[in-house]
Amino acid sequence: MEQFVLFLLALPIVAAAAAALLGPQRADLVRQVSLFATLLTAMAAIIVAVKFALLRAQEPSASTISTFTPEFTTQVAVLDFPNSSGGGFQFFVGVDGLNIWLVVLTAVLMVPAVLISWHSIQERINEYYAWLLLLETGMLGVFLSFDIILFYIFFELTLVPLFFLIGIWGGPQRRYAARKFFIFTLAGSLITLLGVLGIVLACYNDSPKNELTFSIPRLVSIVNEQLHKYADDPARFDSQLGLWKTIQFWVFLALMTGFAVKVPLVPVHTWLPLAHTEAPTAGSVLLAGVLLKIGAYGFLRLCLPLAPDASLTLGAPLIGTLAVVGIIYGALCALAQDDIKKLVAYSSVSHLGFCMLGMFALNAVGLSGSLLQMINHGLSTGALFLLVGMLYDRYHTRLMDDYGGMGARLRLLSSFMVFFCLTSIGLPGLNGFVGELLVLMGIFDAEMTQGAWPALAVLAATGIVLGAWYLLTMLMRVFFGPVKEPHHEGDGPAADVNGRELAILIPVAVLCLALGVYPQPVLDAAKKDIGVITSLLDKASERQGAGSSQASATRRAAGINEAGEGVRTP
Amino acid sequence: MSGIADSVREVFPPPFPLPETVLGVAACVLFVGATFRASRHFWAAFALVSLGIAGLALVLTGVPSEGNVYATALVVDRLAILIKAFALAGGAVLVLTSWNQVSDRQAAEYHGCLLIIVAGLALTGSANELVTLFLALELISIPTYVLLYLPRFDSASQEAAMKYFLLSVFSSAMLLFGFSYLYGLGGTTNLPGLMDALAPRTEPPRLPGIGLVALVMVVAGLGFNITAVPFHYYAPDVYQGAPTAGVALLAFVPKAAGFVALLRVLGLVQVGHSPSPVSMGDQVSILFWILAAASMTLGNVLALLQHNLKRLLAYSSVAHGGYMLIGIAVAYHVNGAGGTPPLAPVVPGGVPAVLFYLAAYGAMTVGLFAGIAYLSTPERPVETEDDLAGLSESRPGVALLIAIFLFSLIGIPLTAGFWGKWMLFFGAMGIDDANARLFCWLALIGVINAAIGAWFYLRILAKMYLFPSVRPLQARQAWPGLAALWICAAITIALGIFPGLLVTPASDTTRTAGQQTGVPRSRKMDCIAGQIPPAMNVQRIRNEPATNVQSICNERAIHLQRTCNPSATNVQSILQRTCKPSCNESS
Repeated sequence: MEQFVLFLLALPIVAAAAAALLGPQRADLVRQVSLFATLLTAMAAIIVAVKFALLRAQEPSASTISTFTPEFTTQVAVLDFPNSSGGGFQFFVGVDGLNIWLVVLTAVLMVPAVLISWHSIQERINEYYAWLLLLETGMLGVFLSFDIILFYIFFELTLVPLFFLIGIWGGPQRRYAARKFFIFTLAGSLITLLGVLGIVLACYNDSPKNELTFSIPRLVSIVNEQLHKYADDPARFDSQLGLWKTIQFWVFLALMTGFAVKVPLVPVHTWLPLAHTEAPTAGSVLLAGVLLKIGAYGFLRLCLPLAPDASLTLGAPLIGTLAVVGIIYGALCALAQDDIKKLVAYSSVSHLGFCMLGMFALNAVGLSGSLLQMINHGLSTGALFLLVGMLYDRYHTRLMDDYGGMGARLRLLSSFMVFFCLTSIGLPGLNGFVGELLVLMGIFDAEMTQGAWPALAVLAATGIVLGAWYLLTMLMRVFFGPVKEPHHEGDGPAADVNGRELAILIPVAVLCLALGVYPQPVLDAAKKDIGVITSLLDKASERQGAGSSQASATRRAAGINEAGEGVRTP
Repeated sequence: MSGIADSVREVFPPPFPLPETVLGVAACVLFVGATFRASRHFWAAFALVSLGIAGLALVLTGVPSEGNVYATALVVDRLAILIKAFALAGGAVLVLTSWNQVSDRQAAEYHGCLLIIVAGLALTGSANELVTLFLALELISIPTYVLLYLPRFDSASQEAAMKYFLLSVFSSAMLLFGFSYLYGLGGTTNLPGLMDALAPRTEPPRLPGIGLVALVMVVAGLGFNITAVPFHYYAPDVYQGAPTAGVALLAFVPKAAGFVALLRVLGLVQVGHSPSPVSMGDQVSILFWILAAASMTLGNVLALLQHNLKRLLAYSSVAHGGYMLIGIAVAYHVNGAGGTPPLAPVVPGGVPAVLFYLAAYGAMTVGLFAGIAYLSTPERPVETEDDLAGLSESRPGVALLIAIFLFSLIGIPLTAGFWGKWMLFFGAMGIDDANARLFCWLALIGVINAAIGAWFYLRILAKMYLFPSVRPLQARQAWPGLAALWICAAITIALGIFPGLLVTPASDTTRTAGQQTGVPRSRKMDCIAGQIPPAMNVQRIRNEPATNVQSICNERAIHLQRTCNPSATNVQSILQRTCKPSCNESS
């Protein structure tokens, strides 16, 4: 199976090189090679996922593990540090419950991305597919890495292909959009790099054997062993634990900066509508479907387990608030749009806010809901972008005012549109419902019903209503009512969905339905690793409780002393 | 092969600078030959071959050797070998870049000067004396004036050459002034001897005020070479006016020489037995902190405003000098500024990071200039960003190579620039003493600067890939220029994927010749170690000191063995150094 995981990373690169070398003249061959490569990658991903799910099903559920346990791993040392213990920088990839479904999502969404570009991309075709396939390797690499530096490397590498995809093949404002996207993400991710280095060094300085390690599972276990040790030791409770809490605070902030740009959370989301709107359809599909998940996945993989105390004290209120603001703000912005693509783009801000809110409910239900919501959003928003792209290919306009009653003209396309809008809204029986339900259940969980969380939950729930509002308004304006068909090239009426487009849409629709009816396998496979995160978070909240009770005890004791002395002095 | 190497080393015993000699002889041949033959192909090929022979000489003689470092003017340690390798590789690329940039008539003189410059850089690496160091630096400067002046006679070029000449002479004077003070303080021009004389005797370690004057003068003089901020004013004008091949040289060689000279003069690299850097506690590292922050920020911000490519790259080179200065500031802490024998640094910040970045910077910047030189023709010079518009369609291959250099300058992974920045920032974050927070801020400043820098590199990239061509580029040029581009790109990518190729040799430079990575523990060392009480002021070891005693003893044993080595003749200094650790411990 390890070979399959490596194959996932290698095949797109090889195909990209092949596509680039074939040259722009042999367009059909380039397309076929790309399609073949993405299909093969998708199959490999599915095989790995099935094997992994079976493996996890056989395992007895052990609750004692305190770090990630990736399967099918490959570890090769790349950069050794001669004077230290610990492995140095390694090429360390594998799968576990948190990343396996995102890997499948990426590999599966690549096939529609290649197919939708079949006719709409006519310039510099070989370059286009080469960048697209390189992007696939970058995205898969981010999810598969278990070395923190390798993670960062892939994280940054996704920028380069997207810069070219948006900048060369995008809409009228593409150059500005590409540069804005690149700079925003790069600036954020550089600060993330500082956070990464900070946590590695903190572990190095504090671990018993001065271990310089970059392996994520090892870092997680070092951080939490040390925290646990200090929490149990009253002598070092204040000094060492306090130090670690400060470190966690800064590490969390630094890591958050990069991931928040990628998700995006509200004050740093401004690159998103521009980039989504200007990107070619495949670019938008992958941006919305996969790249936004990289931010959320970063929170899940690094922020929560490496800074559990900070996630609890800083993350929950901060990210919770930003997420809710994002939900409402994104929804309102979507409501105000006239451009369908922009509407879908803003809806992403709203949906990702939901995902982050569920994650920072910091309990198993919320985390599973969040993970599921990532996959759901990837499928349904990806599909919406695909449909908008199909519409644009026919009429070369995306303004809602130009359309009306298209349901009468394009029956199949509008049926699909209605279906995917409903999955996005969260109709019971479709995938969106399960995710949203779990997220809301997570937020309303007993432990979290304190402070501002009930209010946040209520506000988030209004986001769902708003979501229904803007999507249904769009459906009404474009697909129902009196027919108003924009001008299109060629004679006769515009053709409905053709075979290629059906091949794009049907698998995605089937996946949406399947996840809506029977999401259990996904949740089961991820259970163990979500359990790891929640157990770490539980310990953090114990520490916090212990800290406050100890502090109050000291305060009380001090108060008694003062009182006693007060009695004695006069 | 080893037999040949042995016999060569017998004829030319270790500190003899064989590669430099080869280059010098070749340069003489070039200067004389210029009167007999005018052919750029012939002389460039000749220069390339002599660089190859010098490389062979380096391979044969380049074994780190422990001589009496208190008595020789030149040393061959790991740093020297690494710098010689940099110099020869850089020289080869520069010959290829300027192959077609010079006229037939001037080719011989041009390449002769180039070879002397390369020899100067190589000599800087092994200089063990203030005087040798100064001479090596002048060996770089003087032919550079000629090089800048030779190929073109327009007024911009003349202005550039004149400006460079005047300021360079001025900076040399400042450097000499500083050196004279150092000599006055230490009573010797020998660098290890100087380090011994200046070794701190007070706690906290401080130099007398006059030492500070010397230091500031030395930094100012070398700051001109590395375009650190208050000394950078000449760079934009000179870069813009000078011929492109000359600028490629100017961007790499003086900067490399300046940094190596800094490492040597400040004692950041141990030569033989020299114990610790010139130590002024926080003062020096704060000085470099400020220089680094100012150079990075000013360079990047001013580069944002430029549209002339060479001017932009001048400011970018100021900024990259600033990144490397982070490493110098960090090296003080890594190498144990407090006068304690340094623990072998785990994080390759400091000196290794500077050396790695130097190589990365050389590859990407020289590559970029080689690209500009390759694309420029007299009828259609490449001066501004707009001249590169649409390059990806007219010359996709060259555009891809230039894109690699630009991504490396931004610091995108899988290029050398990424690992360079990574090591510098890692080193800054890894400082674990009273100044830790200050250096975290420096890392943050560096990171923000990297993001600012990305904007203008991206502007060039966008011009090449996202804009249609305004005036298409003309006929293709000969292969040497392209070969230079390919070599630089290969280095950039190879170091990006396998950073270990250079990280390991660069890390080795901070160890002396005898010291190995994993020190085999001998019986004798155990005995010595047994006498040393394990009470240390080693900050890193906080938890469970019991497990670390062994390693501390090891370190101490190495130190003792080093000091007991009979090859050191200066008895006074040995006594002084043997006493020092125990004094520290008792206090």
